[in-house]
Amino acid sequence: MSATVTTTLNRDKVIADMSKIQVRGDERGIIEGFNVFVTQLPAKFWNSFADRLVSKVEPAMIEPTEYLLVNAAHECGYHTGYGIITSDEWNAIVQPMVSNVPEDILHGAYAVFTAWGWAKSEIVELIPGEKMVVRAYDYYEADVVTHGQSSRPSAYMIRGVSAAFMDLAYGGQYDPTGKTGLRTFKCEQTKGIECGDDYGEFVVTRA
Amino acid sequence: MSQATQATLNLKHQFDASRMRHYLNGQLSVLHCHHYASLYTQLAVDAEETVLLARTSEESFHGVLADYFDKNDVESVDDRVAVACQYYAAVGLGKMVVRCLGNDSAEVVLENSHVDEGWAKKWGKFDRPVNHIGRGYIAGMCAAVWGKPVGTYQVRETQSIVQGAPQSCFKVYKA
Repeated sequence: MSATVTTTLNRDKVIADMSKIQVRGDERGIIEGFNVFVTQLPAKFWNSFADRLVSKVEPAMIEPTEYLLVNAAHECGYHTGYGIITSDEWNAIVQPMVSNVPEDILHGAYAVFTAWGWAKSEIVELIPGEKMVVRAYDYYEADVVTHGQSSRPSAYMIRGVSAAFMDLAYGGQYDPTGKTGLRTFKCEQTKGIECGDDYGEFVVTRA
Repeated sequence: MSQATQATLNLKHQFDASRMRHYLNGQLSVLHCHHYASLYTQLAVDAEETVLLARTSEESFHGVLADYFDKNDVESVDDRVAVACQYYAAVGLGKMVVRCLGNDSAEVVLENSHVDEGWAKKWGKFDRPVNHIGRGYIAGMCAAVWGKPVGTYQVRETQSIVQGAPQSCFKVYKA
């Protein structure tokens, strides 16, 4: 049985530094960064579309629809994630703390994921090349429930991005076309704040 | 029409370090890339739910703009249009120009568009308009400018960057 790998990376410092970064559209109204175009939209917009779509479709179409919502984040996480871990900001703040590759990079990626407001999350178990377990203690996708508990978890974005981060770490060389390297891992959400749990839990394994 | 000095958008960013959440003018906001917007849009197209995507956008941005107009005492139509265009650009959705706007109709042009240019960057040109997020924004903007509720306006994209046009054009009319 493989051992869980921890990190000496200074997560609090990464979060403190990275959370200060602010973006704004240029003269074209476009935000370019990390090899992608970026928007900063209300979380409510993304949540509402996903929640309404999944709630609206026939029962047989729920899982296929959820798969596509996860896939949107999977591709986003793969390409943007690569852009982040090769960016000037990363090289200035995180890279000097990285000694154990790729595990420190993974831990650093979740510090950035936290700092930029996607989810207050961390890796709680990491078996290199095999498995990762992530916990998210606060995340905007849980906001779809304000009363009671949902019967289905709905943190599609965290699922997709978590699988993508493992693709980047252990799925081979980054492929900008996404034809290789992408979808070598998959992620299941086993707990959710939206379902009444204290935190969201995400288990990533080989696809 | 006279063009007096336009209102300037005041975009205030706040970070809640206890929850790790970012807010723009009090609205919880998140960064996402063109892959995400393109795949959400493609999902709406494939599921024949482009109206839902546009409606969700309309509701979200109507709320943002109406709240801003109210809290910042932005009262004139010119100022409201100026702020709405500045917000569109600030959040990375593109460069919007409102050619004309009345109580019953409007013409809007996008000189740049995150949705179109992102889609083209990812997949190339497409044979029909894809900017349902922008279409919803415009409907929400027009309603917010006049102090009307969501659903007041319909928006049709008549020319599209993703189809190869130099700019995207939208016709707005009261539903």
